[in-house]
Amino acid sequence: MVEPGGVSATGATVPDAAPAVATGAAAPALDAAAQAALAREVSDREAAARDALFGDTWPDDLDREADRGREGGRGGWLNLGLSFRTRLTIALVAASIIPLAGFGILLLIVDPAAAQGATIGRFLLFILVVAAISGILLAYLLAADLTAPLRAIAAAVDRASAGDLSTPIVVPGEDELARLADSHNRLAADLERRNRELGRILQAIQSGSPHDSPDFIAGRAANDARTAFGMIDAYVLLVDPDDIAEEERIPGESLPIRAVLRAGSEDLGVLVGHLPATRLWERADQDLLELYASEVAVAIRNAQLFARVESQNSQLLELDAAKDDFLRGVSHNLQTPLTSIRAYADQLGRDRPDRRLGIIAEQTDRLSRMVRQLLTVTRLESGALKPRSEVVALAHPVRRAWEALAAADVTFTVDDRSGGWLAVADVDQLDQVLWALLDNALKYGNRTPITVEIAPDTQSRLRLTICDLGAGVAESDRARLFRRFERGADRSADDGSGLGLYVSRELCRAMEGDLVLEPHVAGRGAAFSIYLPGEPPEEA
Amino acid sequence: MLSGPGAHETAPRILIVDDDPNLLVLLADQLRSDGYEIQTARDGDEALRRLRTSWPDLLIIDMMMPRMDGLSLAREIKGRADLPIIVLSAIDAGDSKADLLDEVAEDYVTKPYHYPELRARINRVLRRLGDKVPRQSLVLGPSLTLDLHRREATVGTQVVQLTPTESRLLYALAANIGQTVTTDTLLARGWAETEDADPSYVWVTMRRLRQKVEVDPNRPVHLQTVRGVGYRLVMADAGATTATTATNATTAGPADG
Repeated sequence: MVEPGGVSATGATVPDAAPAVATGAAAPALDAAAQAALAREVSDREAAARDALFGDTWPDDLDREADRGREGGRGGWLNLGLSFRTRLTIALVAASIIPLAGFGILLLIVDPAAAQGATIGRFLLFILVVAAISGILLAYLLAADLTAPLRAIAAAVDRASAGDLSTPIVVPGEDELARLADSHNRLAADLERRNRELGRILQAIQSGSPHDSPDFIAGRAANDARTAFGMIDAYVLLVDPDDIAEEERIPGESLPIRAVLRAGSEDLGVLVGHLPATRLWERADQDLLELYASEVAVAIRNAQLFARVESQNSQLLELDAAKDDFLRGVSHNLQTPLTSIRAYADQLGRDRPDRRLGIIAEQTDRLSRMVRQLLTVTRLESGALKPRSEVVALAHPVRRAWEALAAADVTFTVDDRSGGWLAVADVDQLDQVLWALLDNALKYGNRTPITVEIAPDTQSRLRLTICDLGAGVAESDRARLFRRFERGADRSADDGSGLGLYVSRELCRAMEGDLVLEPHVAGRGAAFSIYLPGEPPEEA
Repeated sequence: MLSGPGAHETAPRILIVDDDPNLLVLLADQLRSDGYEIQTARDGDEALRRLRTSWPDLLIIDMMMPRMDGLSLAREIKGRADLPIIVLSAIDAGDSKADLLDEVAEDYVTKPYHYPELRARINRVLRRLGDKVPRQSLVLGPSLTLDLHRREATVGTQVVQLTPTESRLLYALAANIGQTVTTDTLLARGWAETEDADPSYVWVTMRRLRQKVEVDPNRPVHLQTVRGVGYRLVMADAGATTATTATNATTAGPADG
């Protein structure tokens, strides 16, 4: 009898087990999701298993039976068989006949003539009373004798429904009631065995982890199946089930069993093994084995998927690291000769000042900045770039960046209204941003005067606006200006990488600031504003 | 100790390790003309061989070299002696590898280097040899431990990262623990290669530092201001801190933010 308590207990352990496994293993999100999915599948399958194994016959009937029992009618047991009813009828008939028969016999024995006497009436009454009492007593004893095993069976059924399947009912004799008690005992024992098997199976399924290799899961599944079903031997073969021929059953020899490992519509392998020859193998047992096999199949498929995702993941990480190393190498290999060129040009220029050496140094710088920009893009995208923010007065790096561009013919003004406020920024990264923006202003401002305004903004922020007096940014370009590899429509022929604004904005954001294109104002060209965290210049 | 070329009779000795012969010759020339005594090595093995016969005052190591890279070489050297190291590298701040450099190198300079900046950094690192800051944890009280060689501070149970400048300032303060260090000294220590730095750099950085290392930044326990003079670093539970007030702190008094 599938005890409602027992089933709900095993049912409850499944959802509980999922988070426990996931957190206990400190597994990644994917792992937890897989576990949860597996747990859901297990509980679904368990419900299905209950239906398959016991659904049609046991739970409903048992419930009805139990209900009727609890209502006190116990009428159900009266319908059990003709023989019992007959016996009860005999008992009742006997109870009613005995007083009458006794009365008749007494009448014949004592004296037929005396029956008409006055004392006869009283005597008759006495006899009747005695006969009735002994009749009732007899009927009672008989009924008690008959209902004792019935009560024992009812109590056993109650116990079984409360979860105790191990206490057998003892009814001596060979009659129907004894046979009924026997079948109850057998049923309870079968159920208990299957419950035990189901418990072991669930335990085996829950103890699995997607980190296990499919071969490991297969090996453990075979071992678990052997213990759970009491098999002599068991194997899980991860091959096409059709390749494994079905063994014929030879009476008296060990009993071959098999179940296909089926996950969805996919056959992953087959579970084969042998049972002791004496062991009964019924439909419900085969259902349970097949259920177990399909659970194993799901676990193996999950492990396969997990392994695939893991290996793809580690491949991606390797590729990413390789890409990073490659870029670092490229950067190094480009920067090393540039360093020499730059340093020699500087040294020569110091000995013999020459404008051409200055140009060599500038262009070397430019090239080296473009290499850096490329490296910065990949670093930003992989999230590896962590700015080291220090305090800095913005006017200094602005002037330094301007000097690096060496555009002496363009009017350049720094309007510092910061009132001594200092920005908090990574000086190296800020230098990249300022250089890119000033370079842009030079290129697209058509060498018109460039103004840089530094002023405190709201909320402890500093604003730095770079503007020229050129044509400004076309309306159609405004939206896509900050995208990667984008340039203005009429600017495709220039020498930029198309990364400057994108990298600059990302760098500003990495420094907890921002870079925006200011709205167009008549009489002014393009105006870009950098926002950075700022600090007042007070002693603290 | 050594505070740069010219100031002492003995020129600081520098060992440059780089696999690019052009750069090696050039940088050696530049530094020699500024009065340093230069030795060069083409790779890590050669550098280690040279270290067997004499120790330089400072090493400049290229990050990327065949066979033994700069990082491994720097680790190897630090394992033998705590020599100051400046790493020359084509990668810049923000790279994950740059974080590793912090552990083994005193400073690093990005390629292509700007010679005046490199020289400023060399001098600063050489100057810092005078600061007797141990390469180990400095426990300042129950709620503050400094690991300056790792640029880390442990505040309560929280580990906070320090910027290079912040750790340089803490170096300077820790070397004179309990005593006031003037704002000018801190400025020189923290911003040696920044030409236009002014005292507000120190003020703002100390304010930010206090946010990081003090449990209550408004009532600093360790980083105290000596108004108008400078700052001092004190141990937290030493009751004697007020008694050992710095000698040069005339206007001193425990700061209260």
